[in-house]
Amino acid sequence: MRGVLGAFRELDSTVSAIEALKEKNVGLIRVYTATPRHELEDAIQAPPSPVRLYTLIGGLLGVTFGYWIAIWVSDYWPLVVGGKPIASWVPYTVFGFEVFVLIGGLSTVAGLFIHARIPKLTLQVGYDPRFSHGDYGIWVECPPEQAATAESLLRQHGAVEVRRER
Amino acid sequence: MATVTRPLPDKNEPRRPNIATGDVQLPAVRDYEQVDREIIGTLRPTLPWFIGLGVAIFFLLIGVTAWMYQIYSGLGVAGYNPPVMWGVYIITFVFWIGIGHAGTLISAILYLFRAGFRTTIYRCAEAMTVFAVMTAALFPILHLGRPWKFFWLIPYPNWRYIWPQFKSPLVWDVFAILTYFTISSTFLFIGLIPDIAVLRDREKISPIRKQVFSIMSLGWRNTDNEWRHFARAYLFLAAFSTPLVLSVHSVVSFDFAMALTPGWHTTIFPPYFVAGAIFSGMGMVFTIIIPMRKWFGLKHYVTINHLDAAAKLALFTSLLVGCAYMNEWFVAWFSGNEAEKSFFANRIWGQWWWASAILYTCNMVLPLSLFVQKLRRNAAWLFIISFTINIGMWFERFVIVVPSLSHEFEPWQWTSYRPTLVDYAILCGSFGWFSMWFLLFVKQLPVIAISEVKEIVPPKLKTPHAHGVDAAGRHFEFEADTPGEFA
Repeated sequence: MRGVLGAFRELDSTVSAIEALKEKNVGLIRVYTATPRHELEDAIQAPPSPVRLYTLIGGLLGVTFGYWIAIWVSDYWPLVVGGKPIASWVPYTVFGFEVFVLIGGLSTVAGLFIHARIPKLTLQVGYDPRFSHGDYGIWVECPPEQAATAESLLRQHGAVEVRRER
Repeated sequence: MATVTRPLPDKNEPRRPNIATGDVQLPAVRDYEQVDREIIGTLRPTLPWFIGLGVAIFFLLIGVTAWMYQIYSGLGVAGYNPPVMWGVYIITFVFWIGIGHAGTLISAILYLFRAGFRTTIYRCAEAMTVFAVMTAALFPILHLGRPWKFFWLIPYPNWRYIWPQFKSPLVWDVFAILTYFTISSTFLFIGLIPDIAVLRDREKISPIRKQVFSIMSLGWRNTDNEWRHFARAYLFLAAFSTPLVLSVHSVVSFDFAMALTPGWHTTIFPPYFVAGAIFSGMGMVFTIIIPMRKWFGLKHYVTINHLDAAAKLALFTSLLVGCAYMNEWFVAWFSGNEAEKSFFANRIWGQWWWASAILYTCNMVLPLSLFVQKLRRNAAWLFIISFTINIGMWFERFVIVVPSLSHEFEPWQWTSYRPTLVDYAILCGSFGWFSMWFLLFVKQLPVIAISEVKEIVPPKLKTPHAHGVDAAGRHFEFEADTPGEFA
């Protein structure tokens, strides 16, 4: 993976650099920010996160499993309590709900991990510790012949440091 | 969704704290550098912290010693007096579970409601939740005659060919608490990841700490892609936690409400327990936050406006709880049930009048002072009130558990209950256990969410807005986002 990294101090400079890079279609852009900002989100225009699907599927699997195990266990060891049916769905709703939340929540985290590609063992090319502090960064992944264009665009829009990495 | 530009307020316009909007922002916090420096600065261990930790461990050891004595001697040393077979352990279990509820309320429910005042207090409240649930989970085990058999409540294929009874509220409890603990700790950890990445990047002295932070931050790099999925996952975890808060204490209340015992067998218990739990949790939040903001020098992060807003929430839940108490009296009278009426008379005017008096004074009467704005904005008064709330809520559970069991249907069952030294020691031990974890937490990880505070601090701009910058240094074009709005 090779490309150009630009570090910015100001939010508006970063936004204008992203817009310029996207307009020139220089390469794939990754933006670093210490905190999420709507200005960056609007400039990047990323698609909605698919994490919601993990939540939905995990939740449905969880509630199904919760009801199933309660009913199966009741049938396996049939014991009449309070004259109610062996498999009583009303009390099992409590258990079904808890497993729904448990599996749904954990699936959401799994979705986050898969799509955000964490955990990572090493900090990859194109990261600088100052990005967690408050500076903004733009990593442009591009072939060497487009690196000069990317560099000049980043500098032109106020990057305080620009460097090539590989 | 997009950042909102607000018009400049008129200079002559009278200012009054409006908690849901800009007044909960942090005018004394000017930039990201200050946020990192001041919040990370709280992690340096100090002598008072070591003393506090030592005291907490001492209390914990008292509890451990009492538990060892109880295991050796049997449950008889715990002050049970048949038919009062639930005592301090179950009271304290419900107390700690309740404490845990405010954390999730602040971190999840207020997140969904976009309540700005949660930003600087939610991390503490969330950690408090996790440690309170860890404490509560000990008590059903302490209450067992053979605590080493606790895992029999978990459904797994076993040589005994038997499974838990899923119609039992006690089994629901196991799953409710396990789910609550798992989701709360996951929620806490996920929120911590970006902050641990800050610690990782700022750690210059200890390579071991840097390594630990590197592992714990999972290689987080603050990319737009990570934030996009993070925001969505955080929103869904908050959405899951919200009904979970309501369900957990409802399930705990079923432990009582499903039993045919005077004072317990009532449908009001779930909402009554949930409101009480949030109320008690708010009390503990004040008990923790008020000294912390003073000792850690964080008064400009957890401002009086934040405390004012939280106090309003405490007042509201106090009114709910008071309403539930009055409803209990009314139902006992209106039911025409002699056992119920006799039990309530005994609870309020008879054998347990003193416990009821403490409960009603601490939970219904004293919190009414929070109607006065001056008192809501007085940290010392809030700290005092928080103590009375904690005491009152422990006695609420005492009044629920003991008077019912000591005054059941038949007069020959009527008896008394007196906790023993073992009970008191284990109660002390639970506070030691909770405080130990909390004190360890506050010196290892940020007590205020760095990345969320940065959301409400104005970013650096190359071109300030035409209107300029206000006196507090805020750029009005890039008005601070509503915390959590990003999701």
